Amino acid sequence: MNKSLNTSYIVLVFLTLATGIIFWAKLPFALIMFLALIKFWLVGFQFMELKLAHPFWKGLFLIFSAILVGIIVLLA
Amino acid sequence: MQNYKSIYYPPGGILLWIIIYLELITFGMAMVAFIYYGQQEKDIFVSGAASLNKTFGVVNTILLLSSGYFVAKAVQKHKARNAKSAIKSLNFSILFGFGFLLVKTLEYYLKTEAGHGLSTDTFYMFYWLLTGFHWIHVFVGICILFVIKRGIARKSESYELEDLEAGAAFWHMCDLIWLILFPALYLCF
Repeated sequence: MNKSLNTSYIVLVFLTLATGIIFWAKLPFALIMFLALIKFWLVGFQFMELKLAHPFWKGLFLIFSAILVGIIVLLA
Repeated sequence: MQNYKSIYYPPGGILLWIIIYLELITFGMAMVAFIYYGQQEKDIFVSGAASLNKTFGVVNTILLLSSGYFVAKAVQKHKARNAKSAIKSLNFSILFGFGFLLVKTLEYYLKTEAGHGLSTDTFYMFYWLLTGFHWIHVFVGICILFVIKRGIARKSESYELEDLEAGAAFWHMCDLIWLILFPALYLCF
């Protein structure tokens, strides 16, 4: 449990720095939002312990966030 | 032991998750509106986004993630019946949370000095409203963490885990909002 929390944190910081690099490299905004979605899921499943929750809450979280990010990317 | 597998008892409590989804929907709609209006007034939004300090945004993201990490750690420590470590973790989470508010307030000061107010243009109207409401949520979150920390300090291991988890869930919600808000506001246009 401790190890997965530490690993998740390191991955989150790495993805944040990677986002900065992607932005400066002028890569597509969709890629930036995809990384944001991965971070969103990591915080939800690891920090908020949704990985232990009923499948309903897991599914709702995944679908809601994917729809939100999808709409933002489509409009952008 | 918490029965997270039950649909009625998600981690943090069902009431908090209803609140979390209401907040995510509200902020989500506002962000979608931001992107939509950005397409209608592209020049204004491109110059507005260019005036935002991306480094502040990245630093703030790392501060909030770090704070969230320590809140998650505090929950872990409390479950392990280690109140002292839980309090230590909460102290770090509050510190990083304050760091976020400090950086954001500095950013607000610089924006105000540069003459970018709520009525400057559509971009800055969204900027101030979105980040302003988020700032308030982070401030309330810090207050909640502080109250929880005091509760654990008084009651030690007998402090209700549900209360800590509910407070932690609210805090992580602030993080979730920022994870979408930062790229949409700072990096989209």
